[in-house]
Amino acid sequence: QVSVLYFARSAELAGLRCETLRVPRQVTSLQLWEEIVRVHPRLAVIRDQVVFAVRQEYVLLGDQLLVLQPGDEVAIIPPISGG
Amino acid sequence: MDESEDVPKDFIKLKSEKLSVDEVSELVVSPYCGAVSVFIGTTRNNFEGKKVIHLEYEAYTSMAESEIKKICRDVRQKWPSIKHIAVHHRLGVVPITEASVIIAVSSPHRAESLEAVMYCINTLKASVPIWKKEIYEDEYSWKENKECFWANSEK
Repeated sequence: QVSVLYFARSAELAGLRCETLRVPRQVTSLQLWEEIVRVHPRLAVIRDQVVFAVRQEYVLLGDQLLVLQPGDEVAIIPPISGG
Repeated sequence: MDESEDVPKDFIKLKSEKLSVDEVSELVVSPYCGAVSVFIGTTRNNFEGKKVIHLEYEAYTSMAESEIKKICRDVRQKWPSIKHIAVHHRLGVVPITEASVIIAVSSPHRAESLEAVMYCINTLKASVPIWKKEIYEDEYSWKENKECFWANSEK
């Protein structure tokens, strides 16, 4: 069970900012994205513009294997615009 | 003269209240430094012909703070003479002409603090998870920094 955090446009599309999801302990970042889109299909439109932050480190959507622990934070990160 | 009393410090704050240039620059002042360089990011009132009513900022706060700390660490590696670094970023609603970000850096001589301030704002725009929404008269838009490598550059 991981905490999924949604920000900016992804929070608008998902309709929420935070939830717990049950996901496989080992999963590629792309598979994780697909699990999340299964729950929130409206997120599909931003697939090419987001990255993840897993335990506060950026991860691209792709083949990278993630080893997740219970309670880990996974955040959907749309293109940033600070400063 | 005992410079070990003036240990280099990073001052990082994300807050919804109005930012103060006096406050941020005073944080980095040091008797061992002859230079304080300051960058202020303010809100413009127009974008592509549309009138901007105000900006709204949100952040992944804990990660934003840790990314800014990483920037401070990098600054100290590149410019070892840098003394203090302060980065204040506003969250929530920011009215036009008010500051959304203030960065101040002190160093014994001016070259390092001037370069470090530029590095800080450029790197912040590329790596810190903060988002800006521009509110126009009839619509709004989530902005994307060109420095952000996962944004589509052509829309």
